Amino acid sequence: MTREQHSAQATARPPVLRARGITKAFPGVLALDGVDLEVEEAEVHAVLGQNGAGKTTLMNVLFGLVQPDAGEVYLRGRRVRFRSPHDALAHGIGMVHQTRKLVAAHTVLENLVLGHPRARGLLDLHAARRELRSLCQRYGVHVDLDARVWQLPEGEKQWVEILKALYAGARILILDEPTSALTPPEVQVLLRALRNLVEEHGVTVLLVTHKLPVIRAVARTVTVLRAGRAVARLPVSEASDQELVQLMVGQEVALPGLPTDTPRGGVLLEVEDLCAYNDKGQLSLRGVSFSAHEGEIVGVAGVTGNGQDELAQVLAGLRPAASGRVRLAGRDITHLRPLDRWRLGMGYVPADRSEVATVAAFSLVDNVGLNYHFDPEICRRGLLDRGRLERLTRRILATFRVKAPHPYVQARHLSGGNLQKLVVGRVLSRQPRVVVAHLPTQGLDVEAATFVRGRLLEAKSRGAAVVLISEDLDEVFAVSDRVGALYEGRFVALVPRHQTDPETVGAWMAGLAGRDR
Amino acid sequence: MSELLVRSLEASTVFLLAALGELVNQRSGVLNVGVEGLMLFGGTAAFVVAKSSASYALGLGAGVAVGALLGGVHGVFSIRLRGDQVISGMGLWVLSFGLTTYLGSPHTGPLGLPPFPTFAGLSPFVHAGVLLVVAVWFVLSRTSLGLAIRSAGENPAAAAASGVNVPAVRYLCVVFGGTLAGLAGAAYTLSYNPVWNYNFLMGWGFVSLALVFFSMWNPWILLGGSVLFGAMWQLSLNPEYVLPGVLSRYVWRTVPFLVTVVTLTVISTPWFRTRWGLAKPQALGVPYSD
Repeated sequence: MTREQHSAQATARPPVLRARGITKAFPGVLALDGVDLEVEEAEVHAVLGQNGAGKTTLMNVLFGLVQPDAGEVYLRGRRVRFRSPHDALAHGIGMVHQTRKLVAAHTVLENLVLGHPRARGLLDLHAARRELRSLCQRYGVHVDLDARVWQLPEGEKQWVEILKALYAGARILILDEPTSALTPPEVQVLLRALRNLVEEHGVTVLLVTHKLPVIRAVARTVTVLRAGRAVARLPVSEASDQELVQLMVGQEVALPGLPTDTPRGGVLLEVEDLCAYNDKGQLSLRGVSFSAHEGEIVGVAGVTGNGQDELAQVLAGLRPAASGRVRLAGRDITHLRPLDRWRLGMGYVPADRSEVATVAAFSLVDNVGLNYHFDPEICRRGLLDRGRLERLTRRILATFRVKAPHPYVQARHLSGGNLQKLVVGRVLSRQPRVVVAHLPTQGLDVEAATFVRGRLLEAKSRGAAVVLISEDLDEVFAVSDRVGALYEGRFVALVPRHQTDPETVGAWMAGLAGRDR
Repeated sequence: MSELLVRSLEASTVFLLAALGELVNQRSGVLNVGVEGLMLFGGTAAFVVAKSSASYALGLGAGVAVGALLGGVHGVFSIRLRGDQVISGMGLWVLSFGLTTYLGSPHTGPLGLPPFPTFAGLSPFVHAGVLLVVAVWFVLSRTSLGLAIRSAGENPAAAAASGVNVPAVRYLCVVFGGTLAGLAGAAYTLSYNPVWNYNFLMGWGFVSLALVFFSMWNPWILLGGSVLFGAMWQLSLNPEYVLPGVLSRYVWRTVPFLVTVVTLTVISTPWFRTRWGLAKPQALGVPYSD
């Protein structure tokens, strides 16, 4: 097979890091099942896989955070065994975790020095500052060493972590989903810097991601994980997107064949000059007007923090409008409570599925009940009909393909994708006339995201008006009838999808064009 | 008048020692609301041992050892077993209260030894307290151990990812906190007021706990706060020294608590937090599991 020939060529040089037959079982799950990994010196090696494929576990094994049940790790041909991150760092392996591992209240300098091999006894902050200055200069990074970490934007926090690994002497950097919290311009900066690290400074980067464009931009080789197994290792230049997705998912994925051009009906949702304050008391939604018609998806793109949270919450009735009007089928709902909006046919998919949309300690039945407790079918004279609620939950689990052992399992035990399917399922099974979906596929793997988008399209074809607030431009373009972008609390524009393209909308999101002076 | 000053400083020292230990274990993320209990136990042990062996050194050693041991017990509950730290601390207090009443009551009465030796006119505990403040400040702010302690209290996951052994650091701090609580108890029963009676501490441990919050986890402010609280306490015993007849001693006695309430209110306002940053260790009271 050609793929094996490539890998034979690739291993002509001895790999700098090699893992063989790594196996790790957690209670009830075989997270890694005999995984092999070979990484060459000074390359960006991508590890691609869906959520739950075992990527993070594999990285934690390489970094000494998790002890494998079986398998060996070789560093420059020598067998190594890491009992803790300390061991891995001592061997020149550094890791930047998906969740920030920084002390927010401390300065950047203190964070960088914490745990440094030479930081024993007295702290010599002056010497550390000098070394870090020259390190920053060498890698072309600008970080204020005296700033407190909580004051920094996400992109810079990540730089602090990368710098920390390099300062500790890492020659192999493990980056776990490094782009997930960054804005598009920050992603560009990061990718450019990674290329520089590899090409100019000979650093080896192991990049864990499920984003194909990121891999295309920087990686030379990719290892694909699926359900705890390494299913392929191949040069990025010789794999098509289609092929990679197929390897990752294990089957062909295509959007369900739904009519995307359902004839547009009457106006269902009308928003007029809507303004709202954010939690800090700043006016962050500043005069938004639009309408959504029957059988239409309005895609609202934008970079985090440009008023999307406020728009979604005001529409759902969870945040008061400072001024302006919202009408649902002609009726003014601006000052209605959330429950009254739901009764009038509004459905809301919150951005945060585990903190806002569901209660982690509740069973799936109770979580579904959270959206039905006011429904006369389910609740009579204040008494919940548990039997009906359970049957309804079972129906949602089946229809929306939620993988759960039984309806009474706690929501916390569901993976992100399954939980989101449950949330979307319980909203859509009420057949709402207006759906506000905020980041409905964030952090989901390709399969789950495709499924959720398919259900939104289905709701639209049934005649619902859908407001899709998303940061994923591809998603906005894949499903929306009209596309707009929020920038600093205002719509830059809102136009039919076929009259624009992702580049233009991307420029709107960045506040570059299309604004009235 | 100078007698009042000396007595105030000695009272301050009892607050200071207990609060300083508590400050260190809180900076590492472990809350011990049972300081009062640790002080009662340490004080009683010191008193009983000193009385029966007629040796201050043995008494002091016993008080410190018992404090360290109880600190370790709190560590097992809150670090190893990841229990609720408030429950464990309250449990230690109730246990100590009961046991010391039982063990100490046969010894009710004065210590019956020559007065505790003084150094430059003051109880040596005063000098020790000031030296300990300098030492704690230095370790916390200038050494890598201090950085590890502060990081364990702010974000243990980040500390662990940087190679810090979070449980070990927390054990160290909680045992240190217990040691100082025991020392504070011994300072009370051997030097400040060498008479054992039922519930001799009357809530000094809880005042010390409040002092830690008052100090915003800063050893220097803690030193100032201790002196202030000690002076106010002593004045409540002898109000005639400064403002004779102005206020009843019972009103004076509430002043430390009033000051604590006012301080806690002020430091929890949004204005204060945005102005001075978050002083409280983020992971305080949160069990850590990796």
